[in-house]
Amino acid sequence: MTEKAILYDSTSCIACRGCQVACKQWNDNPLDKEENWGDCPQTADISASTWLKIMLNEAKSYGDDTFLFTRRACMHCTDAACIKVCPTGALSRHELGFVTYDKDICSGCGYCMEFCPFGVPQSTRNTLTGAAKMDKCTLCTTPGADRMSENYEPACVKTCPTDALVFGDRDDLVILGNQKVSELKDEGYNNASLYGENELGGLHVLYVLEDSPDRYGLPLTPEFPAMADVWQDIIQPVGLAAGGLLLAGLGLNYIIASRAKAAREKAAKKEV
Amino acid sequence: MAKEVERYSKATRYLHWMHAISFSILLLTGLILFVPALGFLAEDSWTRILHRIAAVLFVVAPMIYVPLNMKRSGRGILSAFKWGKEDIRWLLAAPRYYFLCDEEAMPPQGHMNAGQKMWWLIALVFGSLFVVTGGMMWFAKDTASPGLLQWAVIIHDVSFIVTMIMFFVHIYMSAVHPLTRPLKGGSWDSMFCNGKMSADFAKAHYAKWYEEVSENKDSG
Repeated sequence: MTEKAILYDSTSCIACRGCQVACKQWNDNPLDKEENWGDCPQTADISASTWLKIMLNEAKSYGDDTFLFTRRACMHCTDAACIKVCPTGALSRHELGFVTYDKDICSGCGYCMEFCPFGVPQSTRNTLTGAAKMDKCTLCTTPGADRMSENYEPACVKTCPTDALVFGDRDDLVILGNQKVSELKDEGYNNASLYGENELGGLHVLYVLEDSPDRYGLPLTPEFPAMADVWQDIIQPVGLAAGGLLLAGLGLNYIIASRAKAAREKAAKKEV
Repeated sequence: MAKEVERYSKATRYLHWMHAISFSILLLTGLILFVPALGFLAEDSWTRILHRIAAVLFVVAPMIYVPLNMKRSGRGILSAFKWGKEDIRWLLAAPRYYFLCDEEAMPPQGHMNAGQKMWWLIALVFGSLFVVTGGMMWFAKDTASPGLLQWAVIIHDVSFIVTMIMFFVHIYMSAVHPLTRPLKGGSWDSMFCNGKMSADFAKAHYAKWYEEVSENKDSG
């Protein structure tokens, strides 16, 4: 199936946060406690019940003091470490390329939180019992609230008044994004880039940025954590092989030793 | 009635019981995360809660045992690190014993044979690693850096593999292997029942310890 994606154009975003509201409404997520920072009542970051947040980064950009807006939510990586480390298969690859999530089968282990290069998965956790459930943006593929299967746009895209969010075939959006970037460069924004085209095998959320990604709080070179491979490709198979060999070895030993013991007892009887 | 010697005190047997139960629960609830096909059993965190209850047992039991049995604990822990030539010879002869049932091949042993000592040493080292990394994952999940927690997961898992293997070997060798049976009067009774071992069994398996014990009534 053709892979889909969201294109977020930071230069068109006015930080109205309509997308945040639409996300909460569609997914029936409750409000988080807000802290009042000057004129901007805001939650500090995304959370288990806030899957999408427009971040207001104060920065000096091209000589001006300004806000650089960015969209913080799951990036839906092609090389997704979270899928690799999830022990229950609650996180998996959607046919449209997204990282989809079945909350019912989440065990709450939190490995995805530790291995995500963007720190996206969040959970509610009872510190005493360890009972936990992770939550994150599923790009509207949550079972029971699946807009994709109905051919609807994601809730955030649907509500965006400035078309800063666009949904479509990923290949088309890469072309569109690069067009916007070259226009920005023509206007003198020399650090402009399309973030997510190649990062981690290609993200399914693409960013048109007029300045360097780190100004937006995005990692310049997000990396697939090596430890994710160690756990899934080495430790798990080695452990299973060792366990299997052990049981086979003990069984074999039992057969050989039983015979040896019987033979000895027979020999001892003869001597008597 | 055959002559018997006391091998494990009541406190030691209780500690062993506590660890046998808690480790079995810890192993099974951990195994679920290790075998992808069993992952569905971990849904909704109930195995995590069981894992924590067992972990508390696992940690609290020695915390009660050690202060009440300072001398015995100190001696026991030290003994894990005392290795001699006889131990190496025992390990080299072990295959003959365990495969060919050749009991004469074994050099005389103290309170623990070299195999038990190896398991005891591994239990001490990896048990500590379990507690430290498990504690991090339990209490520092929100505060420790992701990199540190990744290491904790890996170390916890390596400890799991090593101790799981030794745990099965331990059960097999002390309760399943043809030479340990009948269980009466052997290792099984001494650890799980009355703490006593028949003098014959002790002489055959722990000659050096048996000599010591015959002189001064001391148990571990």
